Amino acid sequence: MAMNFHQSAIKTRFAVRFVQAMKRLNKRRGVTTTDSYKRYRATRAAACASMASAVGPQRAWSRAVLSKTKRRRFQAISRKRRLINPRRNLGFGQEEDLRGLVPGGKGMEYCSLLSETAHYIRCLQAQIQVMTDILHHSSSLN
Amino acid sequence: MDKDYFMSSGIIPPPQPLHFETSMPNPWSSDQSFFNPNPSIIHQFPHFDSSWTSIASSTTAAALAPPSLAADPGFAERAAKFSRFGSRSLNGRTSPPPMSRGSNPPAAELSTPPLKPDGSPPPRNRNSGENSNGESSVSDQIPAKMNSRKRKAISRGKNKDDRSNSPKEAAADGSSKRSKQSENCENEEECNKADQKPPEPPKDYIHVRARRGQATDSHSLAERVRREKISERMKLLQDLVPGCNKVTGKALMLDEIINYVQSLQRQVEFLSMKLASVNPDLDFNMESLLSKDMYQQQLYPLDSSIYHNQNVQHQHLQGTTISSVDPLPLDASLGIDGFSENLPQFPAFTEDDLHSIVQMGFLQNSVQNQTSNMKVEL
Repeated sequence: MAMNFHQSAIKTRFAVRFVQAMKRLNKRRGVTTTDSYKRYRATRAAACASMASAVGPQRAWSRAVLSKTKRRRFQAISRKRRLINPRRNLGFGQEEDLRGLVPGGKGMEYCSLLSETAHYIRCLQAQIQVMTDILHHSSSLN
Repeated sequence: MDKDYFMSSGIIPPPQPLHFETSMPNPWSSDQSFFNPNPSIIHQFPHFDSSWTSIASSTTAAALAPPSLAADPGFAERAAKFSRFGSRSLNGRTSPPPMSRGSNPPAAELSTPPLKPDGSPPPRNRNSGENSNGESSVSDQIPAKMNSRKRKAISRGKNKDDRSNSPKEAAADGSSKRSKQSENCENEEECNKADQKPPEPPKDYIHVRARRGQATDSHSLAERVRREKISERMKLLQDLVPGCNKVTGKALMLDEIINYVQSLQRQVEFLSMKLASVNPDLDFNMESLLSKDMYQQQLYPLDSSIYHNQNVQHQHLQGTTISSVDPLPLDASLGIDGFSENLPQFPAFTEDDLHSIVQMGFLQNSVQNQTSNMKVEL
């Protein structure tokens, strides 16, 4: 997979989706506007889902996140169950840790886990920059 | 340079922490609280140098035999020899001591020269009396030979001299296991058991060479290819993760990577928490957000993803560069369910007038299945 990563484009896509999601969140009356913890959870979920949606289905990790959000909605049972175990565990739990961190990492081979990690890291960096920008921008506005 | 070896090998250079030397009888026990060796706490600071872990673990390990270490006049010299010893991946002139963790056979790591001789100082000092002479002589003889051998080995094909090339050990990833084991030894403060590291790799290094020509069956070929791929990905990751350059060895790098990913995720959570608290007071104005020069755009070829069904006007938009003229208000009440299906593609972008250009290709006319017009507000 080519790591042809246009981070600026990803940032824009993510920013659009995320801001839209936050607007929707704001408009939602009810628990989310009052309960701060739920707001936080919803914001975080919106961030992750927006990021995954901005990336699209081309990466395994974004597919995993998207299926997680969609399935939660439709309450479908995950069909993607890997019967073959990924390649043997090297080392002392680091690979497992990595698999636990990267979404969808459990079913991957080690090689693809590494490349997914790289892409995931770049997306996380982009996400953080966008969110800090939004935060600073909004705080400067008020 | 030697100091770096000290750090990586877990040996504390004598001049560095002065309080070690002043209180001679028990230098380490007094400072054990200072260096908190608890790995869990260390992991809370993801930006800790790997050198800290090694120092911390070595202090606790060193606490087991403070007097010998403290009273050793030739410590610096011997430590220098040890670091050089470990770094050159010397061959096994010295008899390899038995493995502590029996299940993990050692293997030479050609590609990571500063081999973690992260045996703790005490075991090293225990062996120091016996081995120092042998090792010093060995190390003196060896450097030229080892270097030339290493060079030759490397030139003949990095694949074949890859770390795990000892089928005799029945673990193709023995070297990575060994390095990871040594790393974990540091973390788990069981460095006492790992004191046989320096002599071991040299022995397996010989085996690597011997096996080089023979590993041609498809299985090991595939293994080698796979290993190459893995190391290539690891290099990519190394460039991505800050501070990974000083770290060598798969295990440490993986640790760094894991810490970095965790810290990034924590940052995202923190930011979302702040945004959530700020949010109710906020009216997310797309225009002001996007008019900032936040995102340098480049000509980005659109990727075909799940938005195809929405993109009737895809081609039409791609040809147009959206300039400052048309403010297009974005209707946020679109209700983007699932976050994915309703957004159209973004067209190719130009770079001029970033302050006024909204580089998003929203459809000018409403798509039939949309609830309303999608427009972007400048």
